[in-house]
Amino acid sequence: MLGVWKTRARTRMHNRLLMEDAFTAHGIRPSDLPAPPKDAIRVVQACSRSDTGSRDLAAIVANDPVLTAELLRVANSAFFGLASQVRSVARAVTVLGDRALRNLVLCIAMRDALRAESIPGFDIDAFWEDALLRAVAARSLAAPSGLDADECFTVGLLQDFGLLVMFYLQPQHVGEWERLRRSEPDARRELEQALFQTTHDEVGLALATSWGLPEDLATAMGHHHRSNAAQSAPQDALLCRLALCADWMAAVYRCEDKRGTIQRTRRVLHEHFATTDDDCDQLLKQVTESLSEAASAMGMRISLPVDFEQVLREANLRLVEDNLSYQELTWRLEQALLERDHIAAELQKELQLAREVQKSLLPATRSRGIAGLNLSARAVSGDFYDYFALADGRIVFCLADVSGKGMQAALLMAKTASLFRCLGKGVSDPGKLLAMLNREIFETSVRGMFVTMQAGVFDPRRGQVLLSSAGHPPALHMIGTASVSAFPAQAPPLGINPDTAFPNETVELRGGCLYLYTDGLLEARVGEQRLQGDGLADLLRRHSHLPPDARARAIAGAVVDNSGGVEDDLTLLIIEDERPHV
Amino acid sequence: MGFPVEKKQGFSVVVLNGDVDLSRSPDARRAIMKSLKKMHNVLVDMSAVDYIDSSGVASLVEGFQYARSNSLEFGLTGVSEAAMNVLRLARLDQVFPIYASLDERLATGA
Repeated sequence: MLGVWKTRARTRMHNRLLMEDAFTAHGIRPSDLPAPPKDAIRVVQACSRSDTGSRDLAAIVANDPVLTAELLRVANSAFFGLASQVRSVARAVTVLGDRALRNLVLCIAMRDALRAESIPGFDIDAFWEDALLRAVAARSLAAPSGLDADECFTVGLLQDFGLLVMFYLQPQHVGEWERLRRSEPDARRELEQALFQTTHDEVGLALATSWGLPEDLATAMGHHHRSNAAQSAPQDALLCRLALCADWMAAVYRCEDKRGTIQRTRRVLHEHFATTDDDCDQLLKQVTESLSEAASAMGMRISLPVDFEQVLREANLRLVEDNLSYQELTWRLEQALLERDHIAAELQKELQLAREVQKSLLPATRSRGIAGLNLSARAVSGDFYDYFALADGRIVFCLADVSGKGMQAALLMAKTASLFRCLGKGVSDPGKLLAMLNREIFETSVRGMFVTMQAGVFDPRRGQVLLSSAGHPPALHMIGTASVSAFPAQAPPLGINPDTAFPNETVELRGGCLYLYTDGLLEARVGEQRLQGDGLADLLRRHSHLPPDARARAIAGAVVDNSGGVEDDLTLLIIEDERPHV
Repeated sequence: MGFPVEKKQGFSVVVLNGDVDLSRSPDARRAIMKSLKKMHNVLVDMSAVDYIDSSGVASLVEGFQYARSNSLEFGLTGVSEAAMNVLRLARLDQVFPIYASLDERLATGA
């Protein structure tokens, strides 16, 4: 017993220190707090003293006629269920005993301590309705906690009184009340902190200490959200745990998220009172069963009839909705995958069409003495070659490589090829033709894209080629298996500088061949080795005995990989002097 | 991996390195264009370039064209042998201002 007393004394000191903290931290002065119900507190304090006789106590109560009338009314209500009706204070004091009397007086006095008009715009009835839910919930926990039912009810009713005081001190937040009451206990406390820079338990403790409310009640009001409640006397710590559970139980009926709150409440109750889920549901059901009786006893209004079955249905409905949204999510995912496949197929179709269009840009008819080959690494190519015959029998030709890869290269390739076809029929000077193409491409060039190109006019009757090159790898002139000479570019690529001049060179084939190619061929692999200059010359020599068409195919066959593909776009044009007896 | 850009005597120096190919040329382009769009004169240090393909060259061309139309300076410095072969073969050595080294360009002042 001495131990309990010592713990209580320590708790009292601790509570007082916390109250002082609350006052300093939040600038709350005791004089800011609402005035305490002095007569009621005198009764409460008298109840706690062992030297107060029942006659003295009755006299103190009788001193406040309003309190007396209300005390008799509440005590005689069905909810508190006295065995017989009490009609006088003296009888009430005897029948109820000190503790029950204290609790009843506390409930009545605190209920009336703050009038609606003290907090303009605040729905004080709604506050007491929520408090009543907590009180009834706390009372339902009397059996599992082994505590007195009326004691539990009182703690439940008053545990969040601090919230009312917060609105009294900072009425500018009245508009947030609905949001607060719809939040589950933890979220509500966070919201309180954000709005008021303090919480209902801190303020509740400050008020209880300042008003001199009983220590056990002050502790329950101030510590029911704190993990260090265990420092209090065991009985008080139990009250704190009870208050926390009651808070969660009441939240089931107030919060938006029914399902989450029910689950959390089951866990909290199990943790503190080892209840099962079914026990918890039964207790929640009890709350709804005794709520209206409690309201009537306490003279409070309840706006909504609460029914646990209905809450459960709402929670289950939510579960069904969650399941439904999961199914819907799966369905949407399936649809998205189908759509992706569809788009991929469409894209593939588009690419195939683009490829066909590109192929159509390559020469359709064969000319004597000239053969070309184009292999693309992707669906579309940035390389191309073309040739066509002029009326006088000369052949205009070109071979080009657009910088970069993919669709943007393919589009510029298509543009360049079309320009070549169009302009090449009227301009038979390759240098001039390149200069025209250069200006056209420069005007619309994007992202620094450029085109390396060789253009020329082949006169089969004279075995002569007039050649101009815009930044393209050197053309190779070979006679039989002998390399004769290389013709490197004399000017930079197309599309870079609009004023570039493109000189022509004359190549006398002398019964030999002129090879034009893109760097895809130079860097093609034969086995592990890249061809490069010497490798290419060797490869050309090896197949020099074949006619141009067959030679082009043989060269391609040597550089494709096992699956018939190439690493980079690869293009080759062979111009052969086929004159007899050269 | 992006390419470093250093500030030196009123120039933004974009330091290219390794292979400047299809996978890395967008980084090169970003580094060059970002400096130019801040209206900085740009020098591209190409001394550590092992390989440059046509997409890498396109990044340089874009920088060159943007600088020219905005009256900014754009040049290449200390171009490695591998990169120089590519530029020479395509006659791009006629297009870009090329300096033997960064110091050579910086020594002549703004």
